[in-house]
Amino acid sequence: MKTNLVKKRTHTKSNKIYNKSWQAIIFILPGLILAIAFIFYPMIKNIQISFSDYDIMSGKLTFTGLNNYKELFNESQQRFFTAYRNNILYAVVVTPITLFLGLIIAVAINCIKKFSVTFKVIYYLPVITSWIIAGLVFKYLFNPGIQGPINYLLVNILHIIPQPINWLKTEWGGNISIWILGIWKNIGYAMLLYLAALQGINKSYYEVADIEGATGLQKLKKVTIPLIKPTSFFLTIQLLIGSFNVFLQVLVLTGGDPRGKTSVLQYLLYTRTFKLYKFGEGAAIGILTAVSILIVTLILNKKMKVDY
Amino acid sequence: MRRFRKTFTWLLLILGAIIFMLPFIIMIGNSFETFTFSLPNPPRLLPKEFTLDNFKEIINVYHIFNYFGNSVFITFVTTIIVIFISALSAYAFAKIPFRGRELLFKLYLFTLMIPGVLNIIPQFMLINELGMIGTRRGLILLYVGTGICGNTFFLRGFFEAIPNELIESVVVDGGSHFTIFKKIVMPLAKPAIGTLAILVLLGTWDDFLTAKIILGAKESLLTLPIVIHRINGQHATKYGLVFAASIITLIPVMIVYTINQKFFVVGGIGEGAIKE
Repeated sequence: MKTNLVKKRTHTKSNKIYNKSWQAIIFILPGLILAIAFIFYPMIKNIQISFSDYDIMSGKLTFTGLNNYKELFNESQQRFFTAYRNNILYAVVVTPITLFLGLIIAVAINCIKKFSVTFKVIYYLPVITSWIIAGLVFKYLFNPGIQGPINYLLVNILHIIPQPINWLKTEWGGNISIWILGIWKNIGYAMLLYLAALQGINKSYYEVADIEGATGLQKLKKVTIPLIKPTSFFLTIQLLIGSFNVFLQVLVLTGGDPRGKTSVLQYLLYTRTFKLYKFGEGAAIGILTAVSILIVTLILNKKMKVDY
Repeated sequence: MRRFRKTFTWLLLILGAIIFMLPFIIMIGNSFETFTFSLPNPPRLLPKEFTLDNFKEIINVYHIFNYFGNSVFITFVTTIIVIFISALSAYAFAKIPFRGRELLFKLYLFTLMIPGVLNIIPQFMLINELGMIGTRRGLILLYVGTGICGNTFFLRGFFEAIPNELIESVVVDGGSHFTIFKKIVMPLAKPAIGTLAILVLLGTWDDFLTAKIILGAKESLLTLPIVIHRINGQHATKYGLVFAASIITLIPVMIVYTINQKFFVVGGIGEGAIKE
């Protein structure tokens, strides 16, 4: 509202500003040309490619209708559906755990006075570590033999399991490793946003709660959690959409083994396109992923009524 | 009760911090360890015999600092260009009224919903047609092109906060928008531009997929993440080399992060800019 008023005022107040509107072109143009070339045009081109066969040698696109999509849906190994399932599982597992742990750590850091910055830095370190490096460290941690630190911990120290697990070459071992890496890497982000939200809460709410004789847990449930709802919504959307972005974890940890059982959509897109040179199928995977993300975003925005 | 809760909080934080740091500790510890054809058994946090061989090999045999130089060059050039062009766009979106402005901006926003990776195929074809596969120019061009929408969006929020009165006064005095951009907006938006620069720097420094696809097999131009991944592919068990290279890659990130810690709060939230 306020900005509208200001805008109207500038309209009437000085036409000089309007006389100089043409200068906008010079400001917008460099960015716009690049955006058209590398974002808008590729988006549309992607649709065309998904309905075609691309010959990398001649650079020719031949229209083949729905062939690429049919191929994805009908292939005997069902790799597309497995990848899709894994993206959804990743979203369902990683999002709530990340939110929950991120909140707990944020509340704990918010409680202490000394060393709060130190803890913030430590918990945020995984976020700024590149996926490749984090992935390779986890590949070492989840090494199949008894030399793998995780197996050593589970078998020789805690005696939970009798035999070392071949983490990265089994369907569920691989998926669990991918999830754990995702959680470890995302918690810091959730923590940071929650911490900012917590610091924005008016102290008087807690004073009232104290007078009413509320316990710590009650305060958390009745005061804190409702007040940081916008942050939770924002994070949920970010993490759910991010779940369609899983790629490097899979590339580094499992390579989709065994036989695509730990693959995800983007990894499938990558292998189809740049290993098998099936550009059309790759583009079709891209289109289906994009449509899925748009649907998820629309539903979430409606359901949660987030105003941003 | 109160003391109990305090102790519990501290215990939780310290325990969590140890678990969180463990991968880093293992990485650092093992970068000084000797790796042969099998992994050290049993696994250990600190090396049995402290050795610098991994670092020596990664520097002398793998010439890691050549790739370090590649990464520095590509990262800095990308950051400078993309921020300059985005700042120009953001200024127009924030302060110059023109027809179709909001519609165009909505279009920019829309593209942010779709992960950039999904367009990698046509982008690859385009760079291929321009004859820029295997060149730095091609990679930087693609980084800049794909970064425009997001960075313009980020900066517009900050530019809008600059009072219109300041701008009007220059316009009334006969100054152009270029004067305003140079003399008023850029100096005032320094913190925002700093924040964004760090985010772009880190994002470019860590990128793997785009660099791999565009640079291809052009050995002399490769960036650090590709090289680290490749070392692991060549020697499945020589984690010492991988970790040594990883540490060299991580050090600049850590330095930038600790120096600009306060920026990260702003950058991480990003909400202030998003809530329109």
